[in-house]
Amino acid sequence: MILRNLICIVALFGMTFLVLPLAVLVGASLTTSEFLAFPPQGLTLKWYAVIFSNPTYVASFLTSTWLAASATLIAILLAVPAALAVSRYDFPGKGAFSAFLLSPLVLPHLVLGAALLQFGGSIGLTRNFWALLVGHVVIVTPFVLRTVLPLLSREQQAMEEASRDLGADGVTTFFLVTLPQIRSGLVAGAIFAFITSFINVELSIFNTTAELNTIPVQLFNYVQYSVDPSIAAVSSATIVAAAVAIILIDLTVGLDFLTTNDD
Amino acid sequence: MINSRSTVAALVFLPLLFFTAFFLVPLTVVATASFTNGDGVPTLANYARILLDTYHWSVIATTFRLGIVTTLICILIGYPLAWYLVRIVKFRSWRRLCVILLILPLFTSNIVRSFGWMVLLGRNGLVNETLQMAGLTERPLRLLGTETGILIGLVYILLPFVVLTIGNALAKIDHSLEQASADLGASPAATFWRVTFPLTAPGIAAGAIIVFALAVSAYVTPALLSGGRVTVLAVLVFQQYSSVFDFHYGGALAVTLLVFTMAIIGISSLVSRLGAR
Repeated sequence: MILRNLICIVALFGMTFLVLPLAVLVGASLTTSEFLAFPPQGLTLKWYAVIFSNPTYVASFLTSTWLAASATLIAILLAVPAALAVSRYDFPGKGAFSAFLLSPLVLPHLVLGAALLQFGGSIGLTRNFWALLVGHVVIVTPFVLRTVLPLLSREQQAMEEASRDLGADGVTTFFLVTLPQIRSGLVAGAIFAFITSFINVELSIFNTTAELNTIPVQLFNYVQYSVDPSIAAVSSATIVAAAVAIILIDLTVGLDFLTTNDD
Repeated sequence: MINSRSTVAALVFLPLLFFTAFFLVPLTVVATASFTNGDGVPTLANYARILLDTYHWSVIATTFRLGIVTTLICILIGYPLAWYLVRIVKFRSWRRLCVILLILPLFTSNIVRSFGWMVLLGRNGLVNETLQMAGLTERPLRLLGTETGILIGLVYILLPFVVLTIGNALAKIDHSLEQASADLGASPAATFWRVTFPLTAPGIAAGAIIVFALAVSAYVTPALLSGGRVTVLAVLVFQQYSSVFDFHYGGALAVTLLVFTMAIIGISSLVSRLGAR
């Protein structure tokens, strides 16, 4: 019983620890003071008006969204064929191929960012949208591959063969049989890919400029020099957006993976 | 299948091309640069500069000390938290809320999360005010700009990974194994250490590897919470690429970070595999 109480105390401490910094930022963004204060002094939404009327923030937000969406789309176009090849065919170097495509998951993003800057310098691919995009595609493709691969099972292969035996061609089979079965993995992978790209700093920081910036890199640059409530408002806007995304995932895909079978 | 070879080639062609061009080649360029000097002559001088110098060894030591301590603290807090969520929580909606709150930080940028701690850990931040009110300290503690500050930030950022991997392992355990152990007369403690804990060990190992790899390569959190006073390997790499523009020495630093990280991940997955036998 003592042990059980101890576990509850550690757990509640852990949950508080996880919520505190985010709650502090949301709270601080509501202050009426000109400096960052928590607990907030008075309540106002004026700092949100400040950021949404600031063209630099709006431009960075659009860049981040556009970058994350493009990177996710290209990642799907690369990962799905790769997953099909790995799950459906035997070919020499198969293990190495999938390890190669999954390896950005464990590689420090900072190292990859530095590498792309140095390599991009030699072919003129630096400090523009395309330079950002290729790096983001490399880091998000493994997320899609990893969620789609387990869904391309043996049973499903039989369904594909049946579809072909009944006269459907490869393309029709893919869209009518294969795609519906990997859809859930594709959605989950795409969400992780989008978020990973949207919140990335370590890779983007090498190729962003004053004119072309993503939201996290811009925040990073501001936070190091000046701290005022508008930065808390930007942060809290991203926290609220993340919360909305998670609740949407919970309602569609479901987040009950910590639930045991017997309750 | 008759045309399977051409099908495979068609499927793997673009992914392979893209990853070769924008992943393998850039990394090769870095590795090559790290073994040459400004004139393109092969040399080991860049590595000698790092490995024969006590300053670099102290940076490497700080980086790995932070990585190891972060991993240990994450497991010590993460295991009870995962246990609480999987085994103790009775109400589904409360567990659901907890899981949402657990994942929320993962969906938020490192910047935002570290910024939250900058606000909390400042001289007049909530943490110092609480400590002073509770009478635990007379004067405000300096937390920002110390290893402790970075440690708090790293544990915060990486804790959810451990809770998720351990929680997953706990949720998959077949209860009949634990019941059998109890029926055969084992005390709850013996059942835990001999049945439950070994079954969650792969989850702990998986979580620990993720946490360690991300902790030693973290740049944003140390950069923001160190205030320039504590240097880790990733900060050195970034300086070389962003302001010094020495790609040869910077490349050697990047390769050093990569090799040390991969070596530790390799050793720990080997140990956990041997342990599982």
